[in-house]
Amino acid sequence: MPDLVLGISAYYHDSAAALVEDGRPVAAAQEERFSRRRHDSSFPANAVRYCLDEAAVSLDEIAAIAYYEDPQLKFHRVLATVFGAAPRGFQSFRETLPNWLAPGGKLATTDTIRRELAALDRGRVPRIDVRQHHESHAMSAFAPSPYESAAVLCIDGVGEWATTTLWHGRDNQLEPVAELRFPHSLGLLYSAFTYFCGFKVDSGEYKLMGLAPYGKPRYADLIRTHLIDVKPDGSFRLDMRYFEYLRGQVMTGAAFEKLFGGPRRIPEQPLTKREFDLAASVQSVTDEVVLRLARTARARTGERRLCLAGGVALNCVANGKVVEAGIFDEVWIQPAAGDAGGALGAALAVSLERGAGRQHLGRGADAMAGSLLGPQFDDEAIGHYLTSHGIPHRRLDTRTLMTEVAEALATGKIVGWFQGRMEFGPRALGSRSILGDPRDLRMQSTMNQKIKFRESFRPFAPAVLAAEAKDYFDVRQESPYMLIVAPVAAAHQLEVDPTATAAGLELLRVHRSSIPAVTHVDYSARVQTVSPDRMPLFHQLLTAFKVRTGCPVLVNTSFNVRGEPIVCSPADAYTCFMRTDIDVLAIGNFLLEKADQPAWSEDSDWRKNIPLD
Amino acid sequence: MRTIQYFLLYFLIVVPVGIIGRLVHDPLHRKWRPTAESYWIPATAHKQAGRK
Repeated sequence: MPDLVLGISAYYHDSAAALVEDGRPVAAAQEERFSRRRHDSSFPANAVRYCLDEAAVSLDEIAAIAYYEDPQLKFHRVLATVFGAAPRGFQSFRETLPNWLAPGGKLATTDTIRRELAALDRGRVPRIDVRQHHESHAMSAFAPSPYESAAVLCIDGVGEWATTTLWHGRDNQLEPVAELRFPHSLGLLYSAFTYFCGFKVDSGEYKLMGLAPYGKPRYADLIRTHLIDVKPDGSFRLDMRYFEYLRGQVMTGAAFEKLFGGPRRIPEQPLTKREFDLAASVQSVTDEVVLRLARTARARTGERRLCLAGGVALNCVANGKVVEAGIFDEVWIQPAAGDAGGALGAALAVSLERGAGRQHLGRGADAMAGSLLGPQFDDEAIGHYLTSHGIPHRRLDTRTLMTEVAEALATGKIVGWFQGRMEFGPRALGSRSILGDPRDLRMQSTMNQKIKFRESFRPFAPAVLAAEAKDYFDVRQESPYMLIVAPVAAAHQLEVDPTATAAGLELLRVHRSSIPAVTHVDYSARVQTVSPDRMPLFHQLLTAFKVRTGCPVLVNTSFNVRGEPIVCSPADAYTCFMRTDIDVLAIGNFLLEKADQPAWSEDSDWRKNIPLD
Repeated sequence: MRTIQYFLLYFLIVVPVGIIGRLVHDPLHRKWRPTAESYWIPATAHKQAGRK
C-alpha cells in the first residue's frame, strides 16, 4: 500500500497542491492554472482535486496533509513587527490584525484547511502536519535533487521569520545550519526596487531582472552604503529607515526617493535611464550577495553540490553567476522554487519522516520527472473538444506532426505547443509553450507585441538540444528547468560596431548573434537544455527543427498572454491561440492552422478582464 | 472591533509597549554592526509545529 502525502501551500501567493507517493512526487499543480487567476492565493481546491484524480485516490487513502508554513510562528513575527514599528504603522495594524484574529482568520489556518478539504467531499480528512516555510523550501530543493548530500540554500522574501537559510542535506535528512531573519531580506530588497521601478511586487521581479542588462550599475555603491550592510560571509542587514514594509502596504517611502533622486515610476509609464540603472544596480548587489552566500554554504558544509530554492532562486542571472564561479561542481534548482514549491517540499518532509526513501538516488536523475507533474489530455479528450466545438483541425501521426511543425517554425511561423503533462513551476518547458525561430531578427518584437502583448524590453529564452548546448551557450552544466542564465557562445556572437552609441531600449535593435531572438542585450540567455529522457516530444521537435534548418535551438516562451496564467486545458490553449497572432497550434497529435479557423469573438474586451501583471 | 477600538488599543498599549520595549531590545535587530564579522544566526534544534 503506497504511503501518500498531500502538500498544500495557500493564502499568501501561488497556492498549490502536490502529491507525494513513498517519497516521490507524482502530481503537483498551481491553483492559478485552474482558476485562471494569476498567482491565485486562495485555497487550492482545484489543484487538490487534480492531485487526487491523477492518483485515482480519495482523501481516505492520504496518510497526512502537509501545510507549508507555521501560522502561529508567522503571527509571532507579525506581532513583533507591529510593536517594532510603533508609533508609526497604525493603518497597517488596523488592516492586518483582523485578518489574523477574526474567526476563520489566518491564526486558524489549519482549521480552515480542514474545513476546505472536508468541503471537497472526497473522504475523511487526515491529520494536518504543519512544516516551517524555509524547511518546505529546503526539502523541495534537496529531496528531489540527484544528490546524496549537498549544501542547501533558501533565499526568499520571508516565511515566518527566516528570509535566508542554510542547510546541510545528507541521505534523507536536512540539518539546519544558520539563518537570517526578517526584516533583513534579499527578496524584499529586490521587491522594493521592483516596486520603485513601477512593477508589481511578487510578480514583476523577473521584469526587473530582464531590464538590468539595459542599464549600468551606477547606483550599486549607494545601495551598499545606505541600504544593505553585507558581510564577507554573505550575511546582511538592511537599513529599515529606507523601507516602508514594516509599517505600510508599500515597499519604499520618502527616504528611498531622496536617495535615488525622485519619486517611484508610475506603473505603465515609459521607462527611463534611471530605472535601467536601478535594475542593473540591484541585480549587481544581489549577484554579489548570492555569491558570498554560496561560498559560505560551501565552506560551512564542505559539500561540492548546491541545491537552491526560495523565490530568489528564480533569479536566474544570480544562479548563472553561482554556476559560472565554479564554487560548486554542480547546482540543482527546484523548478517550482517559489511558494508553490513549498507544497511539494512540505509533502516531501512529511513523507521522508514517515520512512520513505529517496528512491531515485544512484540513477543520475532527479525525482521531478522533468517537472511535468500537472494534468494531461490524451488525443481522445482533445479530439472530442475540437470536434464538439466545430474547430477545424487535422490529426497526424507523431512523425508527420514534428515535420510539419518544424517546417512552420522554419518559415517564420509562431507555434502554440501543447503536449503531455503540464509543467509545475513558473517556466514553460515544452509542454505548454509558444515556440518560434530564434534566428529571426523580428521574432522578439513580434512575440512581445502580437503574441504576449507585453513590454518590448522583455527578452525571450532558448530551448536547445542538451547534446549541443555547449556549442551555442557557455553553460557549465545542464539547465533542464530554464533557471540558469549563460552567455551565448562566442562562435555565435556577432561583432558589434564599437563606435555604436545605442543605449537603453535602442540596444534591442543591435543584431548581436546568430540567434538574435533569444540573445539578450548583454549576450546572455536563460537556457533550457532539453534531453530525450525528460522531454521526449520536445526533444523530437527540436531534432526535427535542426534537421530542417541546422539550428538546434528554439524560442521557448510560456503559452499565455501577459497577465494570465499559463494555459492548462485544450480550451485555454485554443482561446489563447485565437486571441493572439499565433499561426499554428499543435495540440496532442492535432494541428490547427489560424487561416482555417472561424472568426473569433467574445462578449467583452478580454484584455480588460486580465489584470496587468 | 471598530476602528476607534483599534485606535485606542494601538496608541494606549501597542505604542508605549513598543517604544519602551525597544529601549531594552529590538525584536527586529535593526541596528547595523559595522565591526561584526557576521549576521548569521546559528540554527537551534528544529522545532516542528506538529500535527493537527
